[in-house]
Amino acid sequence: MVKVKYILLIMMAISIVIAGVWATGIFFQSEEKKVKKQFRNLSEWVSKEPGENTFTMVHKVKNIGTLFAERCGLKTPVEPLTGQYTPEEISGYATLCRSRFIKIDLIFYDLNVEFPEKELAKVILTARLTGTLTTGEYVDEARELQCVFMKIQKKWLFSDFEVVEVLRK
Amino acid sequence: MITNKKIRQFFFPSLTPKFLIRASLVVLLAYLFFGYLCIPFRIKGYSMEPTYRNGGFNFCWRVRYLFSAPKKHEVVAVRFAGNKVMLLKRIVALENEQVEFREGKLFVEGKEIDEPYVRFPCSWNLSPRQVEKNCAYVIGDNRNMPIEDHHFGQTSIKRIIGVPLW
Repeated sequence: MVKVKYILLIMMAISIVIAGVWATGIFFQSEEKKVKKQFRNLSEWVSKEPGENTFTMVHKVKNIGTLFAERCGLKTPVEPLTGQYTPEEISGYATLCRSRFIKIDLIFYDLNVEFPEKELAKVILTARLTGTLTTGEYVDEARELQCVFMKIQKKWLFSDFEVVEVLRK
Repeated sequence: MITNKKIRQFFFPSLTPKFLIRASLVVLLAYLFFGYLCIPFRIKGYSMEPTYRNGGFNFCWRVRYLFSAPKKHEVVAVRFAGNKVMLLKRIVALENEQVEFREGKLFVEGKEIDEPYVRFPCSWNLSPRQVEKNCAYVIGDNRNMPIEDHHFGQTSIKRIIGVPLW
Protein backbone atom coordinates (compact mmCIF):
# COMPACT_ATOMS: atom_id res chain seq x y z
CA MET A 1 0.00 0.00 0.00
CA VAL A 2 2.84 2.31 0.96
CA LYS A 3 4.63 1.39 -2.28
CA VAL A 4 1.58 2.27 -4.42
CA LYS A 5 1.26 5.62 -2.66
CA TYR A 6 4.97 6.25 -3.21
CA ILE A 7 4.71 5.48 -6.95
CA LEU A 8 1.57 7.59 -7.30
CA LEU A 9 3.34 10.51 -5.65
CA ILE A 10 6.33 10.18 -8.03
CA MET A 11 3.99 10.02 -11.06
CA MET A 12 2.07 13.08 -9.86
CA ALA A 13 5.30 15.00 -9.39
CA ILE A 14 6.48 14.03 -12.91
CA SER A 15 3.09 15.07 -14.37
CA ILE A 16 3.28 18.46 -12.62
CA VAL A 17 6.83 19.04 -13.96
CA ILE A 18 5.77 18.07 -17.53
CA ALA A 19 2.69 20.33 -17.35
CA GLY A 20 4.87 23.18 -16.05
CA VAL A 21 7.41 22.81 -18.82
CA TRP A 22 4.62 22.62 -21.44
CA ALA A 23 2.85 25.74 -20.05
CA THR A 24 6.16 27.66 -19.95
CA GLY A 25 6.76 26.69 -23.58
CA ILE A 26 3.32 27.89 -24.61
CA PHE A 27 3.20 31.19 -22.75
CA PHE A 28 6.87 32.25 -22.79
CA GLN A 29 8.20 31.34 -26.23
CA SER A 30 11.94 31.78 -26.52
CA GLU A 31 13.43 33.70 -29.45
CA GLU A 32 14.76 30.42 -30.82
CA LYS A 33 11.26 28.95 -30.90
CA LYS A 34 9.95 32.06 -32.65
CA VAL A 35 12.60 31.67 -35.35
CA LYS A 36 11.82 27.97 -35.75
CA LYS A 37 8.12 28.81 -36.01
CA GLN A 38 8.89 30.85 -39.15
CA PHE A 39 10.30 27.68 -40.75
CA ARG A 40 7.16 25.77 -39.78
CA ASN A 41 5.08 28.52 -41.40
CA LEU A 42 7.21 28.50 -44.55
CA SER A 43 6.94 24.71 -44.73
CA GLU A 44 3.15 24.83 -44.32
CA TRP A 45 2.63 27.58 -46.89
CA VAL A 46 4.95 26.17 -49.54
CA SER A 47 3.50 22.66 -49.24
CA LYS A 48 0.69 21.74 -51.58
CA GLU A 49 -1.81 18.89 -51.69
CA PRO A 50 -3.29 17.56 -54.95
CA GLY A 51 -6.46 19.41 -55.92
CA GLU A 52 -5.67 22.51 -53.86
CA ASN A 53 -8.39 25.13 -54.41
CA THR A 54 -7.69 28.70 -55.60
CA PHE A 55 -8.65 30.27 -52.25
CA THR A 56 -6.11 28.14 -50.34
CA MET A 57 -3.47 28.80 -52.99
CA VAL A 58 -3.92 32.61 -52.82
CA HIS A 59 -3.96 32.54 -49.00
CA LYS A 60 -0.74 30.48 -48.81
CA VAL A 61 1.17 32.47 -51.44
CA LYS A 62 0.18 35.78 -49.81
CA ASN A 63 1.38 34.48 -46.45
CA ILE A 64 4.75 33.38 -47.87
CA GLY A 65 5.54 37.03 -48.66
CA THR A 66 4.97 38.07 -45.03
CA LEU A 67 7.91 35.91 -43.88
CA PHE A 68 10.53 37.94 -45.76
CA ALA A 69 12.25 41.28 -45.15
CA GLU A 70 11.94 44.16 -47.66
CA ARG A 71 15.11 43.02 -49.43
CA CYS A 72 15.95 39.34 -49.08
CA GLY A 73 19.24 38.09 -50.48
CA LEU A 74 19.69 34.71 -52.13
CA LYS A 75 23.05 33.14 -52.88
CA THR A 76 23.16 29.84 -54.76
CA PRO A 77 25.73 27.93 -56.84
CA VAL A 78 23.33 28.55 -59.76
CA GLU A 79 24.45 32.07 -60.73
CA PRO A 80 21.28 33.42 -62.43
CA LEU A 81 19.24 32.88 -59.24
CA THR A 82 21.61 34.82 -56.99
CA GLY A 83 20.34 38.29 -56.11
CA GLN A 84 18.05 40.45 -54.00
CA TYR A 85 14.31 39.86 -53.94
CA THR A 86 11.30 41.74 -52.53
CA PRO A 87 8.49 39.85 -50.72
CA GLU A 88 6.25 40.44 -53.75
CA GLU A 89 8.82 38.91 -56.09
CA ILE A 90 9.20 35.92 -53.75
CA SER A 91 5.41 35.42 -53.68
CA GLY A 92 5.41 35.62 -57.49
CA TYR A 93 8.16 32.99 -57.82
CA ALA A 94 6.41 30.81 -55.24
CA THR A 95 3.18 30.93 -57.30
CA LEU A 96 5.10 30.00 -60.43
CA CYS A 97 6.97 27.13 -58.74
CA ARG A 98 3.89 25.76 -56.97
CA SER A 99 1.93 25.77 -60.25
CA ARG A 100 4.47 23.31 -61.71
CA PHE A 101 3.74 20.78 -58.98
CA ILE A 102 0.73 18.60 -58.25
CA LYS A 103 2.04 17.94 -54.76
CA ILE A 104 4.90 19.51 -52.76
CA ASP A 105 6.30 18.90 -49.31
CA LEU A 106 9.01 21.13 -47.89
CA ILE A 107 10.47 19.89 -44.64
CA PHE A 108 13.29 21.41 -42.58
CA TYR A 109 15.64 19.28 -40.50
CA ASP A 110 18.48 19.81 -38.02
CA LEU A 111 17.86 23.50 -37.37
CA ASN A 112 20.80 25.04 -35.54
CA VAL A 113 19.92 28.57 -34.39
CA GLU A 114 22.50 31.12 -33.20
CA PHE A 115 22.14 34.76 -32.22
CA PRO A 116 25.44 36.45 -33.20
CA GLU A 117 24.02 39.95 -32.63
CA LYS A 118 20.97 41.50 -31.05
CA GLU A 119 17.91 41.25 -33.34
CA LEU A 120 19.84 38.97 -35.71
CA ALA A 121 19.64 35.19 -35.98
CA LYS A 122 21.67 32.78 -38.07
CA VAL A 123 20.26 29.34 -38.81
CA ILE A 124 21.99 26.38 -40.45
CA LEU A 125 19.62 23.63 -41.54
CA THR A 126 18.78 20.96 -44.08
CA ALA A 127 15.83 21.58 -46.37
CA ARG A 128 14.22 18.70 -48.21
CA LEU A 129 11.74 19.22 -51.00
CA THR A 130 9.74 16.29 -52.30
CA GLY A 131 6.89 16.39 -54.75
CA THR A 132 5.36 15.40 -58.04
CA LEU A 133 5.55 17.68 -61.07
CA THR A 134 2.57 18.21 -63.37
CA THR A 135 4.54 16.12 -65.91
CA GLY A 136 4.41 13.20 -63.45
CA GLU A 137 8.11 13.34 -62.60
CA TYR A 138 8.99 12.75 -58.93
CA VAL A 139 11.31 15.29 -57.28
CA ASP A 140 13.37 14.67 -54.15
CA GLU A 141 16.05 17.27 -53.41
CA ALA A 142 17.92 18.05 -50.19
CA ARG A 143 20.13 21.09 -49.62
CA GLU A 144 21.96 22.62 -46.69
CA LEU A 145 20.92 26.21 -46.14
CA GLN A 146 22.33 29.07 -44.14
CA CYS A 147 19.65 31.64 -43.33
CA VAL A 148 19.86 35.03 -41.66
CA PHE A 149 16.86 36.49 -39.84
CA MET A 150 16.32 40.07 -38.76
CA LYS A 151 13.90 41.10 -36.08
CA ILE A 152 11.76 43.83 -37.61
CA GLN A 153 8.78 45.20 -35.64
CA LYS A 154 8.93 42.26 -33.19
CA LYS A 155 8.82 39.73 -36.05
CA TRP A 156 11.65 37.49 -37.21
CA LEU A 157 11.92 37.84 -41.00
CA PHE A 158 14.13 36.01 -43.49
CA SER A 159 16.73 38.46 -44.78
CA ASP A 160 19.34 36.17 -46.39
CA PHE A 161 19.47 32.66 -47.84
CA GLU A 162 22.59 30.84 -48.87
CA VAL A 163 22.64 27.39 -50.41
CA VAL A 164 25.70 25.62 -49.01
CA GLU A 165 27.52 23.49 -51.56
CA VAL A 166 28.01 20.14 -49.83
CA LEU A 167 29.37 18.47 -52.98
CA ARG A 168 31.40 20.55 -55.44
CA LYS A 169 31.86 19.06 -58.89
CA MET B 1 2.38 -22.25 -10.89
CA ILE B 2 5.80 -20.73 -10.24
CA THR B 3 6.50 -20.62 -13.98
CA ASN B 4 3.20 -18.79 -14.58
CA LYS B 5 4.11 -16.25 -11.95
CA LYS B 6 7.54 -15.76 -13.52
CA ILE B 7 6.03 -15.26 -16.98
CA ARG B 8 3.49 -12.77 -15.59
CA GLN B 9 6.26 -10.98 -13.75
CA PHE B 10 8.32 -10.79 -16.98
CA PHE B 11 5.54 -9.30 -19.12
CA PHE B 12 3.82 -7.23 -16.42
CA PRO B 13 6.55 -6.31 -13.93
CA SER B 14 5.69 -4.47 -10.73
CA LEU B 15 6.39 -0.77 -10.98
CA THR B 16 9.05 -0.64 -8.30
CA PRO B 17 11.55 2.27 -8.18
CA LYS B 18 14.30 -0.19 -9.17
CA PHE B 19 12.37 -1.27 -12.24
CA LEU B 20 11.71 2.35 -13.25
CA ILE B 21 15.42 3.18 -12.96
CA ARG B 22 16.35 0.11 -15.03
CA ALA B 23 13.76 0.94 -17.72
CA SER B 24 14.91 4.58 -17.88
CA LEU B 25 18.52 3.42 -18.27
CA VAL B 26 17.60 1.10 -21.16
CA VAL B 27 15.69 3.94 -22.88
CA LEU B 28 18.60 6.37 -22.40
CA LEU B 29 21.19 3.89 -23.74
CA ALA B 30 19.01 3.02 -26.75
CA TYR B 31 18.55 6.74 -27.46
CA LEU B 32 22.31 7.37 -27.35
CA PHE B 33 23.18 4.25 -29.37
CA PHE B 34 20.60 4.70 -32.14
CA GLY B 35 20.77 8.50 -32.07
CA TYR B 36 24.54 8.99 -32.25
CA LEU B 37 26.45 5.75 -32.91
CA CYS B 38 24.30 3.54 -35.10
CA ILE B 39 21.74 5.76 -36.82
CA PRO B 40 18.91 3.97 -38.64
CA PHE B 41 18.08 5.32 -42.10
CA ARG B 42 15.97 4.53 -45.16
CA ILE B 43 17.51 4.86 -48.64
CA LYS B 44 15.54 7.17 -50.93
CA GLY B 45 16.77 7.55 -54.47
CA TYR B 46 18.60 5.57 -57.12
CA SER B 47 22.11 7.06 -57.11
CA MET B 48 23.73 4.03 -55.40
CA GLU B 49 21.96 1.31 -57.39
CA PRO B 50 22.50 -1.59 -57.76
CA THR B 51 24.67 -1.68 -54.59
CA TYR B 52 21.97 -0.03 -52.46
CA ARG B 53 18.40 -0.07 -53.70
CA ASN B 54 15.76 2.62 -53.30
CA GLY B 55 13.62 1.92 -50.22
CA GLY B 56 16.27 -0.19 -48.49
CA PHE B 57 16.90 0.05 -44.75
CA ASN B 58 20.28 0.33 -43.09
CA PHE B 59 22.21 1.82 -40.18
CA CYS B 60 24.93 4.47 -40.35
CA TRP B 61 27.83 3.13 -38.26
CA ARG B 62 29.56 6.25 -36.95
CA VAL B 63 32.19 4.48 -34.87
CA ARG B 64 34.07 3.54 -38.07
CA TYR B 65 35.66 6.98 -38.50
CA LEU B 66 36.19 7.85 -34.85
CA PHE B 67 39.73 6.47 -34.95
CA SER B 68 40.50 6.12 -38.66
CA ALA B 69 40.24 8.17 -41.85
CA PRO B 70 37.95 7.33 -44.80
CA LYS B 71 39.55 5.18 -47.50
CA LYS B 72 39.08 4.99 -51.24
CA HIS B 73 36.21 2.87 -52.65
CA GLU B 74 34.36 2.84 -49.32
CA VAL B 75 30.65 3.67 -49.33
CA VAL B 76 30.09 6.50 -46.89
CA ALA B 77 27.34 8.68 -45.45
CA VAL B 78 27.81 12.40 -46.09
CA ARG B 79 25.85 14.67 -43.77
CA PHE B 80 24.13 17.96 -44.49
CA ALA B 81 23.44 20.28 -41.53
CA GLY B 82 22.86 17.33 -39.20
CA ASN B 83 22.25 13.60 -39.13
CA LYS B 84 18.63 13.51 -40.23
CA VAL B 85 19.35 13.71 -43.97
CA MET B 86 22.47 12.11 -45.44
CA LEU B 87 23.85 11.26 -48.86
CA LEU B 88 25.09 7.74 -49.55
CA LYS B 89 28.09 7.87 -51.91
CA ARG B 90 31.34 6.07 -52.72
CA ILE B 91 34.75 7.66 -52.24
CA VAL B 92 36.71 7.55 -55.51
CA ALA B 93 39.60 9.92 -54.74
CA LEU B 94 41.27 11.53 -51.75
CA GLU B 95 43.02 14.87 -51.19
CA ASN B 96 45.47 16.15 -53.81
CA GLU B 97 44.39 13.48 -56.32
CA GLN B 98 43.16 14.37 -59.78
CA VAL B 99 39.75 13.08 -60.92
CA GLU B 100 38.48 12.88 -64.46
CA PHE B 101 35.83 11.10 -66.55
CA ARG B 102 36.45 10.06 -70.17
CA GLU B 103 33.57 8.40 -72.02
CA GLY B 104 32.16 7.08 -68.75
CA LYS B 105 35.50 5.75 -67.46
CA LEU B 106 36.85 7.10 -64.20
CA PHE B 107 40.49 8.23 -64.17
CA VAL B 108 42.30 9.06 -60.92
CA GLU B 109 45.80 10.54 -61.28
CA GLY B 110 45.57 9.73 -65.01
CA LYS B 111 45.02 5.99 -64.41
CA GLU B 112 41.81 4.25 -65.35
CA ILE B 113 40.06 2.80 -62.32
CA ASP B 114 38.40 -0.58 -62.41
CA GLU B 115 34.97 -0.19 -60.83
CA PRO B 116 33.15 -3.53 -60.57
CA TYR B 117 30.37 -1.89 -58.55
CA VAL B 118 29.32 0.26 -61.56
CA ARG B 119 26.95 -2.00 -63.50
CA PHE B 120 24.94 0.42 -65.63
CA PRO B 121 26.28 2.09 -68.80
CA CYS B 122 27.81 5.56 -68.39
CA SER B 123 28.98 8.12 -70.93
CA TRP B 124 30.14 10.96 -68.68
CA ASN B 125 32.92 13.35 -69.57
CA LEU B 126 34.41 15.57 -66.90
CA SER B 127 37.55 17.66 -67.24
CA PRO B 128 40.38 16.89 -64.75
CA ARG B 129 40.08 18.51 -61.32
CA GLN B 130 42.14 18.36 -58.16
CA VAL B 131 40.65 17.24 -54.84
CA GLU B 132 41.30 19.94 -52.24
CA LYS B 133 43.04 19.41 -48.92
CA ASN B 134 40.95 17.61 -46.27
CA CYS B 135 38.39 16.67 -48.90
CA ALA B 136 37.28 13.45 -50.60
CA TYR B 137 35.66 13.01 -54.00
CA VAL B 138 32.42 11.03 -53.78
CA ILE B 139 30.16 9.64 -56.52
CA GLY B 140 27.19 7.28 -56.63
CA ASP B 141 27.43 3.84 -58.26
CA ASN B 142 24.55 4.53 -60.64
CA ARG B 143 25.88 6.76 -63.41
CA ASN B 144 23.22 5.85 -65.94
CA MET B 145 21.90 9.41 -66.13
CA PRO B 146 23.10 12.78 -67.48
CA ILE B 147 26.06 14.07 -65.46
CA GLU B 148 24.08 17.23 -64.53
CA ASP B 149 21.41 15.14 -62.81
CA HIS B 150 23.81 13.24 -60.55
CA HIS B 151 24.73 14.83 -57.22
CA PHE B 152 28.46 14.20 -56.77
CA GLY B 153 31.73 16.02 -56.14
CA GLN B 154 34.24 16.81 -53.47
CA THR B 155 33.24 17.25 -49.88
CA SER B 156 35.00 17.98 -46.63
CA ILE B 157 36.20 14.90 -44.72
CA LYS B 158 34.40 16.34 -41.69
CA ARG B 159 31.08 15.77 -43.44
CA ILE B 160 31.75 12.05 -43.81
CA ILE B 161 30.18 10.68 -40.68
CA GLY B 162 30.07 6.93 -41.11
CA VAL B 163 29.50 3.86 -43.23
CA PRO B 164 26.40 1.76 -43.85
CA LEU B 165 26.42 -1.26 -41.54
CA TRP B 166 25.90 -3.72 -44.44
